[in-house]
Amino acid sequence: MSTYIDNLLNDKIKKIKEENNIFDTGVVIKIKDYIVEVSGLENVSFFEKVTILGKGIGYVNAIYENTVGVAIVRETRPIKIGDEVSASGELFKAIFSEDALGRIIDLFGEDKLTGKYFKNFKYIDIERKIVPIMDRTAVNRPLCTGIAGIDLIYPIGKGQRQLIIGDKKTGKTQIALDAIVNQRSLSLQNKEEIICIYIAVGKTKKEIKTIYNELLKRGALSYTLLVVATNDDKPPVQSLIPYVGLSIAEEYMMHQKKDVLVVIDDLKKHAEIYREISLISNKSPGREAYPSDIFYYHSRLLEKGCQHKNGGSITILPIVETKGGDITDYISTNIISITDGQIVLSEKQFARGQKPAIDYSVSVSRLGGAVQTEDIKKLGANIRRKLLTYLETKDVYELANVDEMSSDLKTKLALGKKIEEALTQPKFSPMSQEEILVRFKAIGGENIL
Amino acid sequence: MKKVGRIISISELNVKVFLYTNDIKLNDILVYEDEKMKHKFEVIEVEDNLASCIPFDSVNGLKKGIELELQEGGFQIQYSDEILGKVFNSYGDLIDNNTIEKEVKKNVYSRRLTLEELDISGKILWTGIKVIDFFAPIQKGYKMGLLGGAGVGKTVLIKEIINNVYKKQNSNAVFIGIGERSREGKELYDEMEKDELLDKISMVFGQMGESPCSRAKAVYSGLTLAEYLRDEKEQDVLLFIDNIYRFVQAMSEISTELKRVPIENGYPTTMLSDITEVEERINSTNKGSITSFQAIYIPADDITDEAVQTVLTHLDGQIVLDRKIAEKGLHPAINVFKSSSKSIDPEVIGKRHYELVETALKYFSRYNELEQIIAVLGIDELSDEDKNIFYRSRKLRNYFSQPMFVARDYTGLEGKMVDINDLLNDVSDILEGKYDDVDEEQFLYRGSLNEEK
Repeated sequence: MSTYIDNLLNDKIKKIKEENNIFDTGVVIKIKDYIVEVSGLENVSFFEKVTILGKGIGYVNAIYENTVGVAIVRETRPIKIGDEVSASGELFKAIFSEDALGRIIDLFGEDKLTGKYFKNFKYIDIERKIVPIMDRTAVNRPLCTGIAGIDLIYPIGKGQRQLIIGDKKTGKTQIALDAIVNQRSLSLQNKEEIICIYIAVGKTKKEIKTIYNELLKRGALSYTLLVVATNDDKPPVQSLIPYVGLSIAEEYMMHQKKDVLVVIDDLKKHAEIYREISLISNKSPGREAYPSDIFYYHSRLLEKGCQHKNGGSITILPIVETKGGDITDYISTNIISITDGQIVLSEKQFARGQKPAIDYSVSVSRLGGAVQTEDIKKLGANIRRKLLTYLETKDVYELANVDEMSSDLKTKLALGKKIEEALTQPKFSPMSQEEILVRFKAIGGENIL
Repeated sequence: MKKVGRIISISELNVKVFLYTNDIKLNDILVYEDEKMKHKFEVIEVEDNLASCIPFDSVNGLKKGIELELQEGGFQIQYSDEILGKVFNSYGDLIDNNTIEKEVKKNVYSRRLTLEELDISGKILWTGIKVIDFFAPIQKGYKMGLLGGAGVGKTVLIKEIINNVYKKQNSNAVFIGIGERSREGKELYDEMEKDELLDKISMVFGQMGESPCSRAKAVYSGLTLAEYLRDEKEQDVLLFIDNIYRFVQAMSEISTELKRVPIENGYPTTMLSDITEVEERINSTNKGSITSFQAIYIPADDITDEAVQTVLTHLDGQIVLDRKIAEKGLHPAINVFKSSSKSIDPEVIGKRHYELVETALKYFSRYNELEQIIAVLGIDELSDEDKNIFYRSRKLRNYFSQPMFVARDYTGLEGKMVDINDLLNDVSDILEGKYDDVDEEQFLYRGSLNEEK
């Protein structure tokens, strides 16, 4: 078998050498959706950019003994068997432009709002090596979202990865948008600038336009860019877009030492797209038919979130959509085990009118007090404990007769209710740290501290 | 150096090499150096003159036709006293800007232990931590599962165990980070440094952002370091593996790329033998012992998961940390009902200890029932016997909290170690009612009851 392959190979190499200088072209011999097989292209490297002449571009995603596998990222005209393919001699890269702030861009450097390309740009690696473990430092600076339920109870720090998870229509994206918009007032106050990147994976054009308009209306676009792959982009593009967004974030963190906030909306869709590509490329399916490296596909992406020793940081808020409120499915638990905590949104709370619809009993911040200021930390720990006991006891005693309860229990329940009410907050109405302190100190008077 | 073969096909985790020689065997390392870096590949299948290799890093930029050299000695890691206080990556390279003065290396795929060498007469390794020594005593050479979400004090507990065991036995520790968060790895390092424990430990990291190969190999490198301490320094070594499940996970990623037929849930065909190979190296000999604490991730909250179950068959017990207990401010927050150890056996720990454990558990489970009743009816409605159980259990519960040496900065309390005999006497006294007139607050965060607080 192997001698056979070798003979074939030698034969081929000999032929190509005789014909001189056609190393870098080949011919399409098989088309399977957006994965094509090319014969020739003997000298390409893995992940090299290739062009299907006049018809589209792709990158090398496998090099076989006799042929090369190419994933198509852009197709302007239908590709046919026999089409000529030429190598480029360089890796497939994304385009980054500093002028892109406030715009909606894709990985080809196109301004989606105008259809034009940025003049001032540079090529950046789609995936870089992750920041080494020893170049990271402790996450301990707060990233304020302006949402009391988060800043006070399950805080987020600069460099943290905090998952936002919940069913459809529970306000997941809204939390992320609130966090982005809140950075504006913060930067006006302390002049500390933060760059926000919203990454859309497989969203509809309408959804993206809506988000853009929301951010525009609230003046958040001066420091925000949207990196998008719409649901009608080629799956390889959709699967790469979060990496591109994070690579842009790294550009800001490494070279300008900036703090960057990245939102990825959403990773469940991303997992499904990756599953599709894997199955089409003949990888064997694992749990729920996802490929075995689905964990790694997300872990290496989210590990880009960090506090760098140079002072810059990347905070990531990935979003995951669940079904029927189940956060124990495969993809959700995978991502929960990568992130530094999760904000769980529940349909039940949402329907009750408690917004943001955070389910405080299952949400977690693994960094907790480490990323809060001293007063907020003290108050937060206290409020959290009181709220959690309330939520726990509430269910047990919901049917019990109030008159028979001990007075202790009655006060506990009343206080819990007050806290719950105080946490309700309409969208785009951020609270500053001082406002949070004042509001929650007022609830319990002295005994809360 | 002599070229031994050239690349003929590439996928993300599988590089096929056409060999020029028959002299290549499994686990050999092939190398190619370009301007930027050294690319390394490990041979894992050989068929005639074709070898399948897994790349140590990303394959982006690699081409067909690239020629490879053979690395002398294969896959090696430092094997001397210089490993202490150092941080390695999975492949045995230092990543903490340290240097090694004199290189003494050893291949990480070690020989198997023979039945003759194996020592199972392990004595109990008293940690001085009351709740562990009482409810889940650790025998030298034991493998304990260490379960519990983040933020409930896993790291503090690990550090305290390292601290105490070092003080008592002068033994060093090895920490292997597999497929976990880089942030946590760095925080552990920083805290070790702050508590001046760094020179007592050596660490290996193959974290979740790194290639499957890195995550699959970290455990072998780490084990070699632990074996050095056991075989050459003749120590009772502590080994922490966080997280052993990630090792299996990495193996499945590799196995898939090799197009091997998977078993349930995409796990590799060789899962059982892979886990056994690793777990069987974690054993004690007549020279020294390796006592390990292994964290296990449970995928999709499914405890019946094939990989989890396979690892569990190798363990001798488990210590479970509980968020609910941590929230009550009781540290270490160990759930005594869920924690267990094979050494809870009258023949190992003695009849007295065994019976005390039984009584204590009986008290605690009744206490949990009583707590519900009291919440509704109040304490006065209880029988005298139940009242005794209630108050004594609370005292006992408080007694099992303990100030830790490594948490001094948070608590402001000097750490305490408690001797097992004092511990048994105290527990027995509390249960028998000797301290019935002492306020329960008095039992919080102290060492043994004999000594002055």
